[in-house]
Amino acid sequence: MTLRVVIAEDAALFRAGLTRLIEDHGHRVCAAVGDGDALLAAVAEHRPDVVVADIRMPPTHTDEGLRAALEIRRRCPGTGVLMLSQYIETRYTVRLLEGNAAGAGYLLKERVADVAEFLGALQRVAAGGTALDPEVVGHLLRAGRRADSLAALTAREREVLTLMAEGRSNAGIADALVVTGGTVEKHVASIFDKLGLPPDEGDNRRVLAVLRHLGGRVT
Amino acid sequence: MSIAVITPAVAISAPFTRRQGRELLFCLAGLPFAVLSPVVLVVGAVDLSWYATRGGRGSVSPADVAVAVAGVGLLAVLLVSTGAARRLGSLQRGIATRLLGVRIPGPRDGGGWRVMAYQLVKLPIGLLEAYAVFFWVGGLVNLSYPLVWGGFRNHPPGAELSPLPVYTPFGLFGEGTFRVATLPGTFAAAAAGAAMLLAAPWVTRAVTAADVRLIRGLLGPGRLAQRVHDLELSRALAVDDSAARLRRLERDLHDGAQIHLATLALHLGMAREKLGDRGEVPDAAAARELVDAALRGAKDALAELRNLARGIHPPVLDNGLADALASLAADRAIPVELDVSIPVRPTPAIESIAYFCAAELMANAAKHSSAGRLAVRAAGRRDVLLLSVADDGTGGADPARGTGLSGLAQRVAVVDGRLTIDSPPGGPTRIAVELPLRA
Repeated sequence: MTLRVVIAEDAALFRAGLTRLIEDHGHRVCAAVGDGDALLAAVAEHRPDVVVADIRMPPTHTDEGLRAALEIRRRCPGTGVLMLSQYIETRYTVRLLEGNAAGAGYLLKERVADVAEFLGALQRVAAGGTALDPEVVGHLLRAGRRADSLAALTAREREVLTLMAEGRSNAGIADALVVTGGTVEKHVASIFDKLGLPPDEGDNRRVLAVLRHLGGRVT
Repeated sequence: MSIAVITPAVAISAPFTRRQGRELLFCLAGLPFAVLSPVVLVVGAVDLSWYATRGGRGSVSPADVAVAVAGVGLLAVLLVSTGAARRLGSLQRGIATRLLGVRIPGPRDGGGWRVMAYQLVKLPIGLLEAYAVFFWVGGLVNLSYPLVWGGFRNHPPGAELSPLPVYTPFGLFGEGTFRVATLPGTFAAAAAGAAMLLAAPWVTRAVTAADVRLIRGLLGPGRLAQRVHDLELSRALAVDDSAARLRRLERDLHDGAQIHLATLALHLGMAREKLGDRGEVPDAAAARELVDAALRGAKDALAELRNLARGIHPPVLDNGLADALASLAADRAIPVELDVSIPVRPTPAIESIAYFCAAELMANAAKHSSAGRLAVRAAGRRDVLLLSVADDGTGGADPARGTGLSGLAQRVAVVDGRLTIDSPPGGPTRIAVELPLRA
């Protein structure tokens, strides 16, 4: 499926590289802009399937990309937003997901180096899925607020948990771990059981459930 | 403090300058305050008590003195505790500021008792001020003697005239210093008057300077308090400065090397894809192009990091300021005349500040003043390092415009240094930085 993409990134070189990467894989970049206001204007004009935006952009160089993304999520709920940043802020994850992980993603910029992974994440977000950077999940795991319940998980189950929190589907997890779908389902059921989470309700809801369990304070 | 060079022209014209008028006014304005001296008040109170108890007859008893001292002491306590003393002090500081242009900050808190101490010494200094005023008034009067003589003493010849007393600083009261009985004698009086008028400005200036010293010492914030205040200020500057520098560093990394490296990773990732998984390379041309782009990105990132590292601490500074300044001078497009003599090596922090000041000032000169040449001097004098950057450009450097110069001044102030700007419109510009050798 050809995606219609709007890019917002203030570093011209990176913006050009990103545009090329996305177009090389058969998608269409409708607009590539350099700040939050231009992003909102481009989204209003082109109605893209997905937006790829830097969090920190002019003029204040703080979180204008994120604010524009939240505005887009409010105005055009069908549009996926994939945030790219040079660092991961848990607070930004929380604000981005705010009760709804559908069609949202937050990745470190360097993830684009793994082209297939990045495009997978882009497609997932465009299709209404979630893509969280392993760093987000890793950060929450390291914070160790639920060390007791996590200790009950096997090493394999931890891997599955991490991939789940990143927003992958069971099929995606099976691919990543090179196991069958059935095996993944079994692991997922076991994890939900051990952590005392409500029954599995689809990929996006379970991202929130897992993050909430890990103490990510996602409402 | 400037050192006045007295030439005959200056000596003669001195009485007629504005400054003289203001100093004379200051001496006059100070007189009423001298009356508020505790000594005057005690004497007044003793008399009052004496009159009240014995109607001014007989001699003053120790009881009168005790009552007077207690009364004045009570008054002092009252003045200090109600803040009236502070207001009195600030009034006198205000007069000094208005008439002499000396700005003395008030004490941060308290200071009432120091105002009372000033009032105590205000009596002798006030008398000296009155003495200075006499130089002017007496001088003018003496100078007018020949006229007075001509106007009022043109009696017929042979008339016996009582001599006129002439008052000079050597004889202020009663019969005066000498007396004149003839017209030629009045010229001696006029000469004394002229001499007094010539001396008057210098007497006024000396007395005024002494009073200003007292005001600074007793009505100002006090040396220790001022020092604490200065240190607080410079500490706040240091904290702000280091926070600002860290913020700038993060920003430079984020917008520079980090994004270069992310782009590099992006290009390499794409190239990796073009190279395929095994054997045949599906798109060698594109892969090559992407690797080239990655290579350029790597070089850019390296250059970026090198500049950043140099901005944090230039390695050449390890060899001393002389080498570092020479390398700065060599990097300039315009010719730089460099003169460095630093016998004692300053501490690294001072060297670093001096280096960055020189770098910024040289860059400024090249950027803003369209200068054709630069002269950079660095000299170690006892315990200070003097750095100056002069150019032959258009001048008009103003710390109020742009943050460069005021930022430098702040950085210099952190170590108790000083930055002086001499840059009249039209040029030339000379900016001097004075730093302690150790900090």
